[in-house]
Amino acid sequence: MTAAPWADELAEKLGRRVESMRLLPGGASKEAWAVVAGGERLLVRRAGGGVIHQDTLSLEHEFQVLEAALEADVRVPRPVAYLGELGGREAFAMELVEGETIGRRIVREPPPGLETQLADEVAKIHAIPPDRLPFLGSGDVLERFEHELDSVGQPHPAIEYGLWWLREHRPEPLPDVVSHGDFRIGNVVVSERGLEYLLDWEFAHLADPREDVSWPVVRAWRFGADDLRLGGVGEVGPYLERYAELTGRELEEADLRWWEVLGNVKWATGCLTQCRRHLTGVDRSVEYAVLGRMAAEMEYELLDLIERHG
Amino acid sequence: MADRPTAPELIEAVFEFLSDELLPTLDDHRMKFRTLVAMNALGIARRELEASNKVLLGEEQAADLARRIRAGEPPEGALQLLKEHVAEKLRVSNPAYLEKYE
Repeated sequence: MTAAPWADELAEKLGRRVESMRLLPGGASKEAWAVVAGGERLLVRRAGGGVIHQDTLSLEHEFQVLEAALEADVRVPRPVAYLGELGGREAFAMELVEGETIGRRIVREPPPGLETQLADEVAKIHAIPPDRLPFLGSGDVLERFEHELDSVGQPHPAIEYGLWWLREHRPEPLPDVVSHGDFRIGNVVVSERGLEYLLDWEFAHLADPREDVSWPVVRAWRFGADDLRLGGVGEVGPYLERYAELTGRELEEADLRWWEVLGNVKWATGCLTQCRRHLTGVDRSVEYAVLGRMAAEMEYELLDLIERHG
Repeated sequence: MADRPTAPELIEAVFEFLSDELLPTLDDHRMKFRTLVAMNALGIARRELEASNKVLLGEEQAADLARRIRAGEPPEGALQLLKEHVAEKLRVSNPAYLEKYE
């Protein structure tokens, strides 16, 4: 057991004995600890030393989002306790869940019914009353990405072109809903039974429902299984039909195009900003470094989408 | 002029060390993944060193084009020019990716 200096604090706050704890490999901005406490397997998420992304929720708010999602019957790991500060940094405990999250493995053998299960979950999230989570922010999505792109410090005319096209073709907005913010393969836990849990709620915000609905359609989240446009695991049609059944929002695949271009702008920019974590020394890592060169894939995809459908 | 191995040859040597000697000894799947990422990074560096130095858009031109587009005035033919510019980057970073669009 590699006990953290704050292990006693944790035991006290949980009101149980901490039998074991292990730091899981991962990012520096958030730590994840696999803990066994009072015979239960928990995941403790704790703020790390790195700079916290501007647009992510505090752990306290993320915990409240998990609680609201659970109330709304969304498949999420059960939130156990918000812990306040542990060793001077914010933390919360939730149920530790098991199953497959690696995109490349999920698309190799997707469980049947995953398309409609994805629709079920996103529909339930979008039904959470926004006033249940009054701290969630919204804002102009294009302004946000322009601002992020400016922070990169190198010109990216292809992404600029995407942003220009998006400004020129902006659809009539739908009223904002509670949105997951990173709803896609890679953030779902899957077993042979299908979708088990939805993870990574730190980007939750208020947005046009099409932002979440279209995000798993973006090519990068098909993990190489490009023929199945919905996350490399299914067709978009049944997914949108099921979503319409549950929410009354009738969306056609063509209604998602603008959002698909937006999604590519978002992830291209995301790759560049994550790479800056490495370049600026905030979080040195070969994985972050390589993301800087991956942005070109989303640049090409957004130009191709605009050329074919614009 | 430096002695051989050249820079691309050195990169290739490190790549082969990672793929043939280090990778087979690793059990931890995260370390395996990170090693594959490192090999990918070396491949990019090697292709960049071997590519011709002539680029479609230099930094200045890219900055100028980016400014014009941000101002809402993309020049005629910008889309085609940008596709070629990005394809050039992909031929270095991930040549196999472009095959998806053929």
